[in-house]
Parts: sequence; structure tokens; C-alpha cells
Amino acid sequence: MRLRPTLLCVPAAAVAAALAAGSAPAAAGHAPTTPIRHFITLMQQNHTYDNYFGTYPRGDGLPAGVCMPVDPRRPHGRCVRPFHLGSNQIAAGDPAHSTATARREFDHGRMDGFVGALDAAHEDGRLAMGYWNGSDLPYYWNLADQYVLYDRFFSSAMAGSFLNHVYWVTGGPAGEPASETGGELGQPLPRGGGRGLTTIFDRLQAAGVSWKFYVQNYNPHLTYRTFRRFPADRAAQVTRVPLLSIPRYLDTPALRAHIVPLSQYYDDLLSNRLPAVSYIVPSGPSEHPPSSLASGQAFVRSLINSLIASPEWKSSAFLLSYDDWGGWYDHVKPPRVDKYGYGFRVPAILVSPYARRGFVDHTQLDFTSILRFIEDNWRLKPLTSRDAHANSIATGFDFRQPPRPPEFTSQTRGNPLETHVRRPLIYGLYGGAAALTVLLLALALVPPGRGREPALSGPGGDER
Amino acid sequence: MSASSPSRSAVAAPAPIATLARRVAQRVREVDRTTAVEATLVCAALALAAFLRLWQLDRLGFNSDEAVYAGQAAAIANDRALTPFFPVFRAHPLLFQTILSLGYRLGTGDLFARLLADLFGAGTVAMTFLTGRLLYGRRAGVVAALLLALMPYAVVVSRQVLLDGPMAFFATVTLYLVARAILSRRLVFLYAAGGTMGLTVLTKETGLLMLGGAFAFFALSPEIRIRAKHALGAAGLAAAIILAYPLSLRFAAHTQAGQKYLVYQLFRRPNHGWAFYPTTVPEAMGVLVVAAAVLGLWLLRREISWRETLLLSWIAAPSLFFQLYPVKGYQYLIACAPPVALLAGRTLARWQPARELRWRAVRVSPRWAMTGAAAAIAVSLALPAWGAIEPSSSAGTFLAGTGGVPGGRTLGRWIRHHVPRGAEFLTIGPSMANLVEFYGHRRAWGLSVSPNPIHRNPAYDAIRNPDLAIRTNEIQYVVWDAFSASRTTFFSRRLLAYAHRYHGRVLYSQAVTVSGRDGRPVQTPLLVVYGVRR
Repeated sequence: MRLRPTLLCVPAAAVAAALAAGSAPAAAGHAPTTPIRHFITLMQQNHTYDNYFGTYPRGDGLPAGVCMPVDPRRPHGRCVRPFHLGSNQIAAGDPAHSTATARREFDHGRMDGFVGALDAAHEDGRLAMGYWNGSDLPYYWNLADQYVLYDRFFSSAMAGSFLNHVYWVTGGPAGEPASETGGELGQPLPRGGGRGLTTIFDRLQAAGVSWKFYVQNYNPHLTYRTFRRFPADRAAQVTRVPLLSIPRYLDTPALRAHIVPLSQYYDDLLSNRLPAVSYIVPSGPSEHPPSSLASGQAFVRSLINSLIASPEWKSSAFLLSYDDWGGWYDHVKPPRVDKYGYGFRVPAILVSPYARRGFVDHTQLDFTSILRFIEDNWRLKPLTSRDAHANSIATGFDFRQPPRPPEFTSQTRGNPLETHVRRPLIYGLYGGAAALTVLLLALALVPPGRGREPALSGPGGDER
Repeated sequence: MSASSPSRSAVAAPAPIATLARRVAQRVREVDRTTAVEATLVCAALALAAFLRLWQLDRLGFNSDEAVYAGQAAAIANDRALTPFFPVFRAHPLLFQTILSLGYRLGTGDLFARLLADLFGAGTVAMTFLTGRLLYGRRAGVVAALLLALMPYAVVVSRQVLLDGPMAFFATVTLYLVARAILSRRLVFLYAAGGTMGLTVLTKETGLLMLGGAFAFFALSPEIRIRAKHALGAAGLAAAIILAYPLSLRFAAHTQAGQKYLVYQLFRRPNHGWAFYPTTVPEAMGVLVVAAAVLGLWLLRREISWRETLLLSWIAAPSLFFQLYPVKGYQYLIACAPPVALLAGRTLARWQPARELRWRAVRVSPRWAMTGAAAAIAVSLALPAWGAIEPSSSAGTFLAGTGGVPGGRTLGRWIRHHVPRGAEFLTIGPSMANLVEFYGHRRAWGLSVSPNPIHRNPAYDAIRNPDLAIRTNEIQYVVWDAFSASRTTFFSRRLLAYAHRYHGRVLYSQAVTVSGRDGRPVQTPLLVVYGVRR
């Protein structure tokens, strides 16, 4: 099914009317339908499910015996097995992840082009088969142990960061892209700077439901109008924050005030001003290869721990996901739902006091499933047919259970503090020692039998 | 037969009771007035000992060492909340912790642990009486027990969940049994002494010093002839009992724990100067008590026998060792307190002036003069002992002599109820870290714990890069406390620098009112908890 972008857009007049009303408290009709009064979603970057959770003990991970042909045209020729990154000479770099690479890897659904596609991009194709494990991702694996891991969560588009971020906030492909080759900054900005796009924030604003878009290292002067003046890594802010490509979010102070630096997230948690819906994007610690996984986990841990330590925890949910596959191998063929997607699976974890404990959710989801949850929870109309028909992430919740008490998830696998105590040994040895002494004392207190006991020599006898 | 038995026993029952009553009445008639007075005094000494050791016993929470020993006991008792924070095999043997764990199987708490420590303290007073009676007669036993009951040193140490108090108890039992063995010439007492010597070491490894004291005694007392096989038998029994410690380490695959601690103790830097014990312990024992003990050795020099050699050996072995040893602890010499009290009791009970004392029209018989001296010394002990168990509020010394850390327990309970499980803390030093872990059930790292394994207690883990740990959100809270800050201003400043650098927010604070330099009451911070983040 091909979506018609023009049909997905809400008339600008309606949006403007809603804005005029300001961000009033949620109308009675938009009160949350679940105990979740605060929903936070964070978009990290560029990993597949198999790349992060392929060897996780539960869930749909790397199949046994998989070996990716170097040349898809020779399926029985040389092949590459999945390997733990860092365990061989293959450098853990940043695999190519253009739309063209995705298509080669997908190979018309045969899913056999992951090595060949990188080779074609003049990279070491074997890299695509690399994966990380629990020793590299202890925090995420621990989160999966304690909360909900989605193992059928697909990126919305078989493309790069920009298009998937747009799906994340609009449920659609942002109009007709200028080209379908990239998805990265500077290539497919919608004509007119995304003027006609309707976002979930328009819906929330109109409904009087509070929201904020938290941006790490936010530069308010960096928008779709100015990004060419900035170095590419800084200009990526526009990729991660699609609102910065939509004129009304730049030109309307009431809307622009919702795009804020990430430091406000921590302040809002402390001052009980956390909005109903929060979108968060990182800057440096996005985990975009080859950046540090530890740094990314520390960043995510800081966000989640701050939420857990706040009074808002008992009515919150935090969804961590990744914008695209980043060039890495994933063994699950993404279903085709329209021209753009789905893309390959990405990791996604739900953290909430109402999240099922240690649950692997097999529900088919994508970024529009996040929108679906927000729309269901605050009784909003869907933005596109994609989110209208998407499954909600709500399958990860169990609202019948009482909210789980706040608890920080460990950043190390296992419990290094836990020691095995051999209690019977301690009681046996020390108890035996004490019993032997008591026996000797008892023998000493028994009056001596005449001539039966050897005597000490010495003064004696003059007890006073 | 079965029908007649109950009626027969019902008829016969009053006979033993009547017999018992007659025997008791006969014994009461036999007790002379002096004995009755002395028995009353023994009871009074024990009552005083109990009072001073129980008064507001639970007013303050544990100090660091108490938290560690109680934590170990909780881990042995399978307390799931504390087991992750307190490895059973840390530094010392586990006899006291194992006994404590039996009570902790019903629930971990402060009061029970301190009551158990107190029980050993009161037991030491009782054993001091028995030893004094054995060596110098009932009067000396009563006086020695009274002095020990009131001795601030014994009171302060007994009120804490430390290993030294129970170790002193077993050492005093051993002292009694050695004396009993010599006086009764019964070998079994020597073997029993070997057993209790083993328990002394199983309570704390420094009890080995008392073994040295015993050897010194036999070597210095030629009149005590003991066959080698008997000595070896007693030593063998002690060794067999001590063996429980290395065996438990070996079977639990924790042999390195003991070895590391030994190496650390041998090579750690001195924590006090040579004058530490001479300036603190006599004052804590009571200067008059020490003076009476020393004076008696001169005044009663004609009576000196193996008895004094025994007591002096018991004092000299630990005193000499710890005086020479670079690491010193206030409570390390507590095993010397009973023999010192015994020597003082000997002086007060057995020495009298040659004639009555006269002061103007007042005449005091020699016996009453010594009774008055004993009473005066007792009062001189009681006052500082009372002061020691009442937490002071003077500036800079609000850390109670009873060993507890004010606010530590309250802080820990606040943490347990307000800080998410799994949170980690940075404290100035390991003392507060232990309290956070014991009461708060949260992991805590002492900033002052050296990353260099040569310079740190192997029981503690060092935080290698606290700055990084905060930036990566491995540590989310920082605790400043006045107790640790007073010990190390350097690490106090460093800790506060982290709090300021990483958006420290005050989440919890405690202050105490203390006397300022001008004598006016002022509020001073006691504890502050900061939430920190990158």
C-alpha cells in the first residue's frame, strides 16, 4: 500500500487554531486511559536486534548454523558466521547503511546480502555479521531481564535515520522524499521544509496534553534553514529532531518552547513538571557506530535512573529504541507493509513500573506503535493509516499488577556482590569447636575420681 | 502398675522439696555476715555492670566496625538483604558472628547484637570475680569485679558489637582455668584452658597473644612444673579448636581473604604514635586502678608468687605486642583490663596500713580505710563511665564514646525507604559506607579507600575513578558526614567537589546542636546526601 502524503496532513488552519488555544490542561476527554501519565521515548541509533540481542538467552536471536554467503549469487560458496565483535581481527567500525545498502542486504526478501552489500560499498563485508553480547551490553541485557524486550520491533522504513525519525513523530514518510537513496541529513528533506506535516505533538497540543522534545546539546540556532552552516556531526541535530524541519515549530514561540535542552528533563523530574509525553534524542552517546556502547548505556542509565528516582516513576513508561539497523545483520525478514517499510528489526525495551517482568514480547511493532500507544492512552486520533493499523506497545504492560517499587538496574551482568556462603560448614566447624570446649569444661567441673586422673605438679592446694 | 505409679509419685513429691528447703535454710544459717555482705557486693557489682552496659544501649546506631560484624552475622544467618554487602570471610575468625547469627536467624537488629556483646562483658566481670576469689580470696574478687564493672574502658568496649569484648571474656575464662589447674593440680583444667584459649583465638586472631602470655607465665614460674606432654596436650587442644578458622577458609575457598588481611596488617602504615596506649588506656582503665595495681606489687612484694606472674603475663603479652606494633586500636588491650582489676583488687583487699588513720578527731581503722579507698576508686570510675555512655554534645566530639555514629542509622533507614534499590553511594570513607550498606541496603564506596591494594584493607573495594563513576551514572548519590570529615579533610573536600561539579542536589540532611567556641549552642551539619548526575 502506498501512502499519499497529502492525505496524511492536517490542514494548517486547524493546527493554528489549536495552537491559539495554547497548551491548556488535558481536557477531560483526553485523560489517560491507563495508569501511564508520563510516557518517555528515546531514540538511539544504528543497531539491529541480532546485533544487540542475537545471543540473548531468550527472544528470537541468531539462528543456529547461520552463515551469510559472501556472494549472494553463490549461496553455497564462502560464507561468514556471526561472530562476537572484538574477538577477532575485524575492526568494529561503522557499516554502510544507506538505503541502497539496505536493499542489497534485503535482496528481494532473500536476506542474504549482508556481507555482499558492505563489500560492494568497499568495506569489510564480514563486519555486518558481528554482534555484541551481555559483557558489552550488561545494562541493556539486565533491563531485558527485568522489563520488556520486544523482539519483533521493526524500523518503520528501510532507510536511514531521517526517515525513521520522521515516522517516529508523524507516522508517515514526511511527504515525497526528494530521493530515496539516503534518509540522511541533507538528502530527503520534504519539499517546503515539512510545512504540511502533522505530528503527534500537534495532536497533543490540540488536546491540551503536555509534551516536550528534549534534545541533548541543543543548539536552537541549528534548524533545516541553517544546518549547512554547521559541521555534519552537529548538523545531525536536524535529523534527530524532525520538528526543526517544520516551519511552524520554529516560528511559533508557543510550539518552539517545547523543544528544550536535555538538562530540563532532569529539572522537570525534580520539580514535578515532567510532561505527559516526552521525546528524547541524544547527541554524542547515541551508540551510532563506532561510538562507545558504554557511553550510550551510561547515558540511557542516567535518563532511566533519574526517572526511577523521581516521584513520577509510579505513573511512567520509558521506551528505548533505535532509529535504524545501521548496516548490521538481522535474520528476520521485515514484513512489507508499504513502499517504505518495514525496515530491519531494531532493539526496543520498555521500562515501567507496570511493565511485565522479564517478558519478551513477540508482537509485531514499529515506530508508529509508539504513536499508537500515545493516541490510545490520551484518546487522540491517528495521524496516518500506518499508526491507525499498527499494534500498540501496550502489550508489554500488565496494568493488573501493582506498580513495581523503584529499583535501579545493575550495570554489570550477574550480581558480583552475591557470595556463596557455606553456612553448614561455618556452623559445623565453629559449633564443633565450641562443643569440644564445653565438653572439656564439663569434664573439669565433674569431681575427680580418686586416682583416675593424672595430676599436675606444682604448688597447688592453697586456694584462698 | 501403670495405675498406681502416678499416685505414688504424687505422695512422694513433697519430700525432695522439703529436703531442698531444709538444705537452703541450713546454708543460709551457715553464711556469716561478711560473706553475706560480699555476696551482696558481688550482686551489686554485676547489677552495676549490667546497668552501665544496658543504659540507652540502642540510643545510637552502629559504628562502622559494629556494622561489619553484625553484617557478617546477618550473612551467616542468610539475611538476603545484607548478604550481598557483607562477605562472610573478611578479616577475622567468626565465632562471635556465628553465635550472633543464631539470633539473627529470627531477624537482624541492633539491640540483640549489643545485648550479646554486653552478655560477654558482664560474663567477664563474673569471671573476674571468680578468678579474684580463687587467687586472692573473696574480698579481692569482689573489689576486682566492682572495679571492672565500673571501668570506663570495659563499659565502652562491652557496649559495642566488637570482637574484643568476647575475646577478653574467653581470655579471662582461660586465666581462671589456668589458675584453677595449678591450684587443684587437675590436668583437666589445663585442657579446658586449652579449649577456651582456642575459643579466644576463634573470636579474634589477636587472642594468640594470650597464648604467648601463657607460655611466658610457665617459662617465668619455675615452681610450676608441668610435663611437656601435658603442655603439648593443652596446646594441641587449643590448636585443634583454632583449626576451625583456617579450615572454614579453606573449604569455603577463601584462603586468600585471611592471607591478604595478614599481609595488610603487617605492612600497613602506623595509625597512631607510640604514646597512644600510654596516654589513653590508663585513663580509660582508671588512673587510680592502675596505680593501685602497680602500688600493690610494691606494697605486697613479699607475697609475690606465680599468681602475680600469671596476671602480669596476661597483661604484658598484648601490651608489649601492641605497643611495638604500628597499628593500634583503642579496644585492642581490653583483655588486659581483668588482670589489672585483679591486681588492683589484690592491693585493696590484702594490703592495709600498719595502724589506724587519724585526721583531727576522726579515726579510721585500716580495714575501713581500704574500704573507703576502694569506694573512692569506684566513684572515680563511675563518673567517667557515665560520661562515656551519655553522648557528648560538645563541638567536634559529638561522636559518642559508645562508638555509635549519630545519624547513621536514621540516614540508612531514610535511604532504604527513599532511594531506589540498586542505587550506589560515594562516601568520604569506608566507615559511612559500611553504615549505608548495613542500614540502607545500598552499595557504597569509600572515597578514601586507596586504589593501591598495598594501602587498603582488603575487605574494602576501592572506587578507581569516582569522577568517571558519577559521569557514567554508576554512582548516583554522595554522602558527606561530619565524622569522616573530621578524620580526613582532604577527602571531605574532594567529595564536596564532586557534589558541586555534578549538579549535587541536597536530598537529605541532618544537623546537631553543639556547643560553639563561645559556649552558645550552634547547629552544625552532621550528614548530607546529594543526588548527583552528569
